[in-house]
Amino acid sequence: MVWREEEEARDEVFQAMERGEDASSEGTVLLIVSGMMHQLNILGGEIWKLLDGTRDETSIINSLLSEFDVDRETLASDVRSFLEDLQRRGWIRYE
Amino acid sequence: MNKKIPSAPITINWTLTFRCNFSCRHCYSRVEKAEELETGQIKEIMRRVAEYKVPFINYGGGEPLLRHDLFELTAYASSLGFNVSMNTNAYLMTKEKAKLAKDSGFKTVGISIDSTKPEVHDAFRNTPGSHKRAIEAARHLGEQGVRLTVSSVICRINHGEFEDLVRQAITLGAEQISLHNYKCTGLGMTNKDELDLTPDEWMKFYMKAIEVRTNEKGIRISMDDPITASIHKAPEQPIVKGSTCGKLSLNIRANGDVTPCGFIPVVIGNLLTDDLKDIWDGSAVLERMRNKKPKEKCLSCKHYEDCLGGCTARAYAMTGDFDSPDPHCWVEK
Repeated sequence: MVWREEEEARDEVFQAMERGEDASSEGTVLLIVSGMMHQLNILGGEIWKLLDGTRDETSIINSLLSEFDVDRETLASDVRSFLEDLQRRGWIRYE
Repeated sequence: MNKKIPSAPITINWTLTFRCNFSCRHCYSRVEKAEELETGQIKEIMRRVAEYKVPFINYGGGEPLLRHDLFELTAYASSLGFNVSMNTNAYLMTKEKAKLAKDSGFKTVGISIDSTKPEVHDAFRNTPGSHKRAIEAARHLGEQGVRLTVSSVICRINHGEFEDLVRQAITLGAEQISLHNYKCTGLGMTNKDELDLTPDEWMKFYMKAIEVRTNEKGIRISMDDPITASIHKAPEQPIVKGSTCGKLSLNIRANGDVTPCGFIPVVIGNLLTDDLKDIWDGSAVLERMRNKKPKEKCLSCKHYEDCLGGCTARAYAMTGDFDSPDPHCWVEK
């Protein structure tokens, strides 16, 4: 699995969010898995970068709370859904 | 319209040499000549390209194994973080070379095999014994634990037997078979009438190949051809639509010249002197390719939004116009 953060896109998304615009569909991380290319949006990309094998779900949520203007409950639900999707695809595993 | 183009190429297709020990009847590069870069020059370009986090380098050719420094370059590229692969006719892939491929860090090696019948493959590749050597090379690579892919150029000699090619690739232990569409560039143009399929034959081939791909679990089947958008919707929206060259990939020639893809002989810079990002962001040619305008039958076609006129290289080869409809396209007006 190979991935790359699209730093320019990430900066633009955060700037758009600061202006109050919805940029949640913009890709900020590219993932190449088994020859197929996938794109993660800003929340998915920020979660992805934190998946270094040392953090649990609570730690990820705590890290992201400072980045996103959202209440903890909503963020926790989004993080959970995203991680479940990654696990279903076989892209992450829990140890 | 295309979505946003990535900040830099995902793949650099790199022709290290135009020299080849074969003279295949369809080859795009046999008519090409260029002075080859020295080892140090290539490493310097690799170092600068790595700054933009390009994840993949794929050597094409010419035959990469003719470069005396192939494994040295690969070891260097791997140390910079590139995932390196190559396409080879494998005639020179001995057991010793297979070990060097493994040790230098090749992530995958793609072997060209165009028929399950040795005499057909050998005639197409104009080299007696080449099928046998390709099969042996696959075994050598397998023994070294190098991941193997098989590349087959679909054309008149094999479009009816592609399922046999898939089975052969599975037998060889390949993880992917790429069914490449025929390109009318170089000798591919010279021998087009003899080797290329008609649009109707392409449609029938792709309909069958997509069905086989859907049901085949033993190997990944790759068919990178935008005209299939009219008969198949990908389960996920692709990152870019239409041709991927100039949107996800670039091509470097033996002398450092950059072209949008190996099949579009339009030079848009040279990495000895130009910066990759400047070319990627500033090339007027890439801008044109990323913003094609429908013309002729594409103007009223409901599939244009997904295929963006099909393969830009084929359109350009036949008409000199990026915007022309793909000559392989079977969709009527």
